[in-house]
Amino acid sequence: MKEHRSIVRTARPLSLVGPAFAWLAAGVVAAACVFIIVYIVKEGLSHVDWTFLSSDPDPSPASGEGGGVRIPIVGTAFLVFITTLLTFPIALGASVYLAEYMDERRPLTKAIRLGLEVLAGVPSAVFGMFGVAMFSHGIFTFMSSSGAEGSDVAFGRSFLVAGVVMAIHVLPFVIKAMEEAIRAVPVSYRQGAAALGVTKWRALQRVVLPAASPGIATGVILGMGLAAGDTAIVWLTLGGTMNMAVDAWWQLSSAVEVLRGTGSTLTTFIYFSSPAGEGNAPELAYAGAMVLLVLLVSLNAVATFLGRKPRSV
Amino acid sequence: MYASKEDAVTQKSPVRPTSEADEAAHLLAELDREMIRAARSLETGTLIDVRDLEVRYGSKVVLTDVGLDIPLRQITAFIGPSGCGKSTALRCFNRMNDEIRSFSMSGRIRIGGQDIMEPKVDVTELRRQVGMVFQHPNPFPMSIHENIALAIREHTPRISRDEVDHLVEWALTKANLWNEVKDDLKRSALALSGGQQQRLCIARALAVKPTVLMLDEPCASLDPISTARIEELLLELSGEYTIIIVTHNLAQARRISDDVAFFLMGRLLEFGEARRVFEDPLRRETADYVRGVYG
Repeated sequence: MKEHRSIVRTARPLSLVGPAFAWLAAGVVAAACVFIIVYIVKEGLSHVDWTFLSSDPDPSPASGEGGGVRIPIVGTAFLVFITTLLTFPIALGASVYLAEYMDERRPLTKAIRLGLEVLAGVPSAVFGMFGVAMFSHGIFTFMSSSGAEGSDVAFGRSFLVAGVVMAIHVLPFVIKAMEEAIRAVPVSYRQGAAALGVTKWRALQRVVLPAASPGIATGVILGMGLAAGDTAIVWLTLGGTMNMAVDAWWQLSSAVEVLRGTGSTLTTFIYFSSPAGEGNAPELAYAGAMVLLVLLVSLNAVATFLGRKPRSV
Repeated sequence: MYASKEDAVTQKSPVRPTSEADEAAHLLAELDREMIRAARSLETGTLIDVRDLEVRYGSKVVLTDVGLDIPLRQITAFIGPSGCGKSTALRCFNRMNDEIRSFSMSGRIRIGGQDIMEPKVDVTELRRQVGMVFQHPNPFPMSIHENIALAIREHTPRISRDEVDHLVEWALTKANLWNEVKDDLKRSALALSGGQQQRLCIARALAVKPTVLMLDEPCASLDPISTARIEELLLELSGEYTIIIVTHNLAQARRISDDVAFFLMGRLLEFGEARRVFEDPLRRETADYVRGVYG
């Protein structure tokens, strides 16, 4: 009896420490998030207006002439579009394979899993560096403008290069999200289809993937968010410039040239404008950050909305 | 099973071919036996015959020494306590166990004279022939119409839209669901009640024109009224289809089945006419189970 009592007595205060710490930790996270958002909005809001959104960046913003984020917004859209275009089919195929076809016990499977984990852990700056080194090779001149006249190296920096590198960076995360979405489809659907004599592949096409589509869409949006939010890859593989290679970038006829040329995104605009970059105009950095934040929060909201949607018709 | 390998060979083929002529004679004899067997099965009205069935999951034996003849166009109920192997037996008939990695079986299962374990058997076609309804209704997350059309299109690739619509209506009518859903076939099947969903699953299986309909505790998650409707439906269908139902519900087995197979701990202990099994069981275990001593 005595021993029992002593156990109870020591357990009581400990049982309060755990939850208290959990609450505190959660509170710190929430407070940090709210603080950052409030601070950025407070600093950035006064600069975000139509002129800011519709004008192009000034290469020397410290002069006080301002400059806006039209090209960075368009650049972000281009980059996200290319990345998504490359990521979606590969991630879908890989996640279907991982969720439906592979044998978890085989060495090949373990190698793929390990590969994905390592890929997910590689810092984006490393991808960026790799991208420039790789795509500067002469055979990749079709992806970026060529280097110096007469040389056989490519410039290695363009929307296409950045898109490809970004796709490699986001793939493991998107694959993981899609695989989970596919695995979450109830086994009863697969069994029902199999019992009707529907082949596995057709059941996948007609039943499993449609049922998993909200989760798959969430995975795509996750990838879009990652692509829009990454800085290092863009800074290294899109060139450290603010404006696009072609002035009249909106013309369809110059599309190829634009995609093979350098440019900027919201993240590089923030870096460039901040005291850490050449621009040294923190108010513009805050304004850019606010625009990016709104974009990312909206993407998250869409993902949440899709994820919550009941799996009906 | 056999004393030696030699014995096994002689038992399988009493006529051992030594030359081409012998082989031809052997094949003819085989064919003869096949025809006699087919004729006999028509006579006795057996559709599925199971011999020496043994099923293992890994090293665990879940069914052993099972042999039974399931009669054509009747309702056969598989009864027995949980874990007795009755569902496993059912899943052998449409080879749903194939999906389980550790599964292995020996023995023979013939449906309409065809050994279904032979490598040449097209499993998708087998599953079309031998429809299956599960314990929990599992309509696909799509419209009522699409739920049925999916499998129809799978088995008849170039079927016209009108024919699909026609078959959907036929199947829903057959499953006594048409009148309840005909006005809104585009509605999600998930919006139906549990009992309606289960009848939709039956309609889905019927739409591909099976000969056998297997149901694995189809009423386990349904209320008494929905259960009664399903039972009524099965009685109606039993004139046209060979129905096998796995059930925990002895009263249900009594109400609807023509024959009853009683499984206990992986063995088929008793198989026979339902009335006889319930009222005058041959074995004590059956009598105890039927009286509710265990289960």
